[in-house]
Amino acid sequence: MKMLLLSMPSFIAMGLFMATAHAGDLSVTISDIREAKGSLLIAVVNSDAAWNNEAKPVAVQKVPAAQGEVKLQFKDLAPGAYAVQVFHDENGNNKLDSNFLGIPTEGYGFSNNPNVMRKAHYDEARFDVGADAANVTIRLR
Amino acid sequence: MQRRSFMQSVLLASLAAAGKPGFLRAEVLAPTGPELFAAGLARDPWLAGWKSVGVESLGPTQASIEGRWPGSLTGTLYRNGPARFERGALRYQHWFDGDGMMHSWRIRDGQISHTARMIATAKFVQEEKAGRFEVRASGTTIPGALPIRNNDSMNTANTAVVRLGDRVFALWEGGSAYEIDPDTLAARGPTTWRSDLVAAPFSAHPLLERDGSAWNFGSLDFFGTTGLLIWRIGADGALVRTAVLESKEPGYLHSFAMTQKYLVFTFMPYRMAEDKGAFFERLQFTPDRACRIALVPKDALDAPRWFEAPFAAIYHFADAYEHRGEVVVRAARHRDIEEARSPMAAAMRGERDSSSSNTELVSLRLDLARNRARWETHGVSGFEFPTFDARAPGNQPALLYAPASVKPANAPFFNAISSIDTRAERVDVHHYGADVMAEEHLFVPRPGSTRPGDGWLVGTLLDFGRGRSGVVVLDAARVKEGPLAIAWVPYTVPLGFHGWFVHKA
Repeated sequence: MKMLLLSMPSFIAMGLFMATAHAGDLSVTISDIREAKGSLLIAVVNSDAAWNNEAKPVAVQKVPAAQGEVKLQFKDLAPGAYAVQVFHDENGNNKLDSNFLGIPTEGYGFSNNPNVMRKAHYDEARFDVGADAANVTIRLR
Repeated sequence: MQRRSFMQSVLLASLAAAGKPGFLRAEVLAPTGPELFAAGLARDPWLAGWKSVGVESLGPTQASIEGRWPGSLTGTLYRNGPARFERGALRYQHWFDGDGMMHSWRIRDGQISHTARMIATAKFVQEEKAGRFEVRASGTTIPGALPIRNNDSMNTANTAVVRLGDRVFALWEGGSAYEIDPDTLAARGPTTWRSDLVAAPFSAHPLLERDGSAWNFGSLDFFGTTGLLIWRIGADGALVRTAVLESKEPGYLHSFAMTQKYLVFTFMPYRMAEDKGAFFERLQFTPDRACRIALVPKDALDAPRWFEAPFAAIYHFADAYEHRGEVVVRAARHRDIEEARSPMAAAMRGERDSSSSNTELVSLRLDLARNRARWETHGVSGFEFPTFDARAPGNQPALLYAPASVKPANAPFFNAISSIDTRAERVDVHHYGADVMAEEHLFVPRPGSTRPGDGWLVGTLLDFGRGRSGVVVLDAARVKEGPLAIAWVPYTVPLGFHGWFVHKA
């Protein structure tokens, strides 16, 4: 039952693309969206530091939430290891709301959908993008 | 050639065996939890107390009344408890895991009717849709459980019920209070008392002041820290304030006690096993370590006094009073810590060897001048779910009322109601019968009365001999004489935990 403080300040740093030589596309499907309210904020990172907001993310998108499922693409990613974190900003305040204990009260999810009661670690969410297109499905919790 | 025929003969023998009825079930597939429980229930009808409810609602059903129900005892007895224990091939292994079902016994115009409804928590709704258990539980590992947002995602609202102001709440201990429509029993959703308190734990045993205002706590141990959140709720059912009681060590507590001046929180030491598993699977009480007790002045929540006393496993505290420089708190102490970790675990599996009665009445005596704490025993054992008249004077022990186990008994559960007077060293008991299981009995003051103890006990029974459940009333001062009346419905409902009586003329 242990819940650890979970915050995703990586989202504060918006919109940085890295130029790449050998590009791959990443398709992200976000499922289990409870309400068509507010936005989904999605960050793609390629390092433990970026996962923990100590470096900039590779790419960030903000899309309107729809009930159920939303699909989006990140284009031209260099081959390598990545991880994706997403949260559902239901009330449009650009942050993942939490209570006095830091427990999230809006929806969130991580690539690989690790079944942990805390913010996932980079290693748990990491996957590889090769020269071909990659797909991940993230279940919002 | 020889080898081939050997293989063939083995295969043929296997196929022949596979064709016999029962081969796959008996020898290849182990029986499922629901199958084992069903077999146990067919053998031991008292296991009806732990039978899974498969429907969303029950009733309204007019109860048939034996005896004379007191004319001025009108209103509603609400009862809550775990009721959905099974989905598909999975049966919960821990009693506390079942989804909550809210019952109402409505008493008016000489008639009593029973209605019940599964509490539509986010968990229950999600799993109804999925057709399987897919959310982690407090005491059972769920194979393939999905990641969850927070503690309220696994809130079963299955433990108790309280009315605060004119609002009725179904309570758990690790998350929000679920507000319930007092008439339809429909769930109105988790309660947010203040925006920063979304999903904050509001545990199952709030205590009321005489003006109707309330105190409660929520354990912060569930969230990777220690200590308590203390809640103060006004007589109107609105939040007045919260405070955090810091604790340097983890400690489990299910309920608390209070005197006129103090709140008393008793922390049971434990450690969590490192391996994966549900909360109550990993929980290990540590009886070699002391209980820590926080005595918190109601007018200075930030100034607790700490005491230590030898380990005790306790779910339910009863009354507390102040006398000659001591604060005294009474409780039902469990002698078997494994039974305390998972009460009636064998019954949950459909097996016989559970015991609910390995308990004893203790008083925790806090000596304020010497800053010492000690336990005192009273020679009263085999009871749980103690209640009392909250009008007790506050400087002496109250009479306690509690379901008890007496012989003869055909089930390893309480089958009697007792009235415990520790000052007179007297216990009065009424035995409902060997085939009856008795649950919590609430004290309900007689309308217009002011004398402590003047009123009724209203409790619930499961008569597994005759396949019925009921609500019983006794004169609280004449427990030995037995029920004034019992109202039965012609079906059984699983045993629950706690209730709340709302008087309505």
